Amino acid sequence: MRAVRLLALPALLVLLWWAVSGSSFYLPSPLRVGQAFAETWFSERLTDDVLPSVGRLLMGYAAAGLLGVGLGVPIGSSPRLRATLEPVLEFFRAIPPPVLVPLIMLLAGIDTPMKVLVIVSGCLWPILLNTVEGVRALDEVLADTCRMYGVRGLARLRRLVLPGAAPQIMTGLRQALSIGIILMVISEMFASSSGLGFTIVLFQRQFQIAEMWSGILLLGLLGLGLSALFRRVERRVLSWYYGSGAARA
Amino acid sequence: MLEISALNKAYQSPGRRVEAIRSITLGVGAGELVCVVGPSGCGKTTLLRCVAGLLPASGGEVRLDGVPVTGPPPRMAVVFQEYGRSLFPWMTVRQNVELPLKEKRVPAARRRELVTGSLEAVGLADAADAHPWQLSGGMQQRVAIARAVAYEPQVLLMDEPFAAVDAQTRADLEDLILRLWRDLEVTTLFVTHDIDEAVYLGQRVIVLSSSPTEVMEDLKIDLPPGRDQLTTRSLPRFGELRGHVYRQIQRARGER
Ligand SMILES: Nc1ncnc2c1ncn2[C@@H]1O[C@H](COP(=O)(O)OP(=O)(O)OP(=O)(O)O)[C@@H](O)[C@H]1O
Ligand SMILES: [Mg+2]
Repeated sequence: MRAVRLLALPALLVLLWWAVSGSSFYLPSPLRVGQAFAETWFSERLTDDVLPSVGRLLMGYAAAGLLGVGLGVPIGSSPRLRATLEPVLEFFRAIPPPVLVPLIMLLAGIDTPMKVLVIVSGCLWPILLNTVEGVRALDEVLADTCRMYGVRGLARLRRLVLPGAAPQIMTGLRQALSIGIILMVISEMFASSSGLGFTIVLFQRQFQIAEMWSGILLLGLLGLGLSALFRRVERRVLSWYYGSGAARA
Repeated sequence: MLEISALNKAYQSPGRRVEAIRSITLGVGAGELVCVVGPSGCGKTTLLRCVAGLLPASGGEVRLDGVPVTGPPPRMAVVFQEYGRSLFPWMTVRQNVELPLKEKRVPAARRRELVTGSLEAVGLADAADAHPWQLSGGMQQRVAIARAVAYEPQVLLMDEPFAAVDAQTRADLEDLILRLWRDLEVTTLFVTHDIDEAVYLGQRVIVLSSSPTEVMEDLKIDLPPGRDQLTTRSLPRFGELRGHVYRQIQRARGER
């Protein structure tokens, strides 16, 4: 029953696609795209283009996560630091990350470091700002409890700060994931010779329309898979949060 | 043991200054149990937080064993009025009680003993693996008490710790505190708004005036030391003391 409800709308959309396809050269039928999908991606493109792309995405995402939480904790803990840095951080967050690509290309070349850096430069801000906010809003009574019972230093970080800020940190990580996927593609559209984004542009230029569509389909599926994975991790990490009903409040 | 001298506390915020405590001078001897009563908003919590070293005083000072308190002293435990918010929602009841012991580097075996013992004492042995948000308010309050008890403090500060429990549980917990205090000789400062409770538990009852607060009366409770819910509460002297404290609080409120 659940499977039916889950698949009903996608099936309907595919049918609709079928009905309108063929009317245009640029809109091949689902069958044609499916064929192209299998031919294109179950080949060495998987190891040459897709996996390196995903690898760079994960690398940049992980680096942004470490950096964002690592900087967010001290900034969130210190009102002085926060007051000084927050306007600047908001400014950087407001810059659309794709415009940084030309700049980063000048600094880091056109290879893997540039692409990872582009992903970091976009993923960092939501993680950083949400961590700052989560740490800032830690419950005072819990903080006092830690002071009273001698919970300080690393123990305080592990028992109070990180779990207390975890709901916000996860929000930041979720936002960063979708930004990361976008930037993964964009970073490969500039001056690149491999990668998922590059391949899609290449197909478009060569009028391999079904192949191009299959690339878009792959990106959609990738995003779907990653966000499902993320939800599972989040459910586990924040089980207390969902259980306590704080999430609904 | 604990000396509070000319303690003054004003909350300062831009454009506003609230003098919560005018001047409190008060001593608590080693192993003494002193109850503090006063009208709502008179600064009982403020007093306790100053004594705990969580809040800097605006004037005067608090000394523990002759040493000025500038931060939370070791071997002091507090049961906060906001008991629910003082428990870590991401930990189980057992982990909540155990955390301070871990930080104190109590060996694992002894830790288990203390945690089990204190949870049994507050009647929550079965709830050890639950999370705080799965418990009722009264149960949460008892977890906070168990945590303070397991810590084996030298000084115990309690801020209306029984406010959320039913009458029977309350009587049990009162006797638990008395037993603990007698057995472990914990110096205890106990804030309550319940006059009966103050007279029943305390060797002394401090009546505070309404804000800005001063000590209105420091009353010695001359009831026999072995207290019992039934016999102590039915003593004529109990009634007299209770009536006296009641009238004092009425006076404190009237002065506003
Ligand atoms: N953080 C704060 N900032 C400003 N004023 C405060 C603050 N905390 C308490 N006050 C004020 O100080 C006074 C005493 O508050 P306190 O919480 O100590 O009272 P209380 O005796 O514990 O009250 P209750 O019996 O209701 O718990 C009140 O007038 C309150 O408004
Ligand atoms: Mg209070």
